[in-house]
Amino acid sequence: MEIMTIDMISPDQVIFWQWKFITINATLIYTWLIMAILVVGSWLVTRNLSKDIRFSRWQNFLEVVVGGIRNEINEASHGCGDKYLPFIGTLFLFICLSNLLAIVPGYVAPTSSLTTTAALAVSVFFAVPIFGISSQGVGEYFKEYFRPTFIFFPFHVMGELSRTLALAVRLFGNIMSHEKVIAILLAVTPLFFPIVMQALGLLIGLIQAYIFSILAMVYIASATQAHEEKEETETNKA
Amino acid sequence: MHIDWFVFFAQVVNFLILAFLLKFFLYGRITKAMDEREAKIAATYDEAQTMKTHAREALESYDHKLRDIQEKGDAMMQKAASDADVHRKELMSKAREEVDQIRLRWQETVAREKTSFLNHLRQRAGREVYAAASRVLKDLANEDMEKSIMALFIQMVKSMDDKEAAMIRDAVRQSATGVIVQSAFDIPADVRSELNQIIRSYGAAQDAVQYETMPEIVSGIELRTDGYKLAWSLNDYLETLEDSFSHALQEEAKEKA
Repeated sequence: MEIMTIDMISPDQVIFWQWKFITINATLIYTWLIMAILVVGSWLVTRNLSKDIRFSRWQNFLEVVVGGIRNEINEASHGCGDKYLPFIGTLFLFICLSNLLAIVPGYVAPTSSLTTTAALAVSVFFAVPIFGISSQGVGEYFKEYFRPTFIFFPFHVMGELSRTLALAVRLFGNIMSHEKVIAILLAVTPLFFPIVMQALGLLIGLIQAYIFSILAMVYIASATQAHEEKEETETNKA
Repeated sequence: MHIDWFVFFAQVVNFLILAFLLKFFLYGRITKAMDEREAKIAATYDEAQTMKTHAREALESYDHKLRDIQEKGDAMMQKAASDADVHRKELMSKAREEVDQIRLRWQETVAREKTSFLNHLRQRAGREVYAAASRVLKDLANEDMEKSIMALFIQMVKSMDDKEAAMIRDAVRQSATGVIVQSAFDIPADVRSELNQIIRSYGAAQDAVQYETMPEIVSGIELRTDGYKLAWSLNDYLETLEDSFSHALQEEAKEKA
């Protein structure tokens, strides 16, 4: 049933089809599966949305999830939840579903691949300056790199790079290591104990999704906050 | 551990596509539905608040109106009670007056009936007294008594004053029927001759004197001509007694009334 052997570190190594540099491996397949579940599920639920007080349980569930994410983003970004919702919300939902589906036999989480986590971390890496510049402008944004003095510029750059690397490696390390632990435990003690570890894996997967998305939000918020604080001060003065 | 750069870029693109699709299918629709519902609930709440305010105002207004109506009702009740009291007093006064009038009328009627009854009683008493006296005198009357009466009558005729004698004389002379002497018993011959003599002395003819016996006279003698009567009889006295008695009783009744 398992498509990965115990000595395989990443689902990238499970290659289904390859032509020149184009590789279709387990990471991509399961990513598309998750994407399909999210998109089709969203479409099925939201095609008949009720704006009345009475609505379906699935709509209620999605409203709870989206409302929860929006509230978290609002708390971190001081009330600009809807602006960052598609990016941060998609990060959370993708990582969360990717991790939670790990209880399904034969499934391998795409987040246990460094390629996926690196891609997500790089997306965050580029999203931070994009949101920062859209909020503050180019000059104002890059001035932050030279504060308090220009000497701090390399440290800012290193900080950006290192936190991106940390994002990628933290998620990859947690999920990959947990999958390996489950696989080893199944080989050693196939009864009862792996179930407890699977339950623990669900918790870890949820926590990691939360950490990844909330950190991304914090990075984006820190890049846009200077501008927003300035705006708030001007508004208060007015 | 290596990174497959094709998969890396594919995952970045996958993520961006997923974010775009979810923005369209999930976040946009869900947040819109939530916001619209919140707005709807807020509108409903505002409407409820407005209705509550209106209801409170209406309640206060109706309370005020109710108080006014109650006050007016109390005032009307007081006025009605006062009017009713006045009307009751008027009716009572009217009723009292009517009762007084009826009582007065009743008293008058009673007094009238009383007077009438007393009059009737007195008249009857008089008649009874008269009847009793008449019966007693009738029982007592006899010829001896008659003689005494006739002697008394002759004496009365003889002792008349001139005026009366003139009146008798005129009556006797003018009478076409003559002189009628009525008595309860037969008059003895000697008395008759004496009477004839006296009557003739007043100018009557020899055969003009007629003698009649009438038991109703009871006892006594009467002399009648046209328009004149001279009598001494118990009947005469009794008639006089009856008239006097009746007159006296009526006078007394009038004084009491």
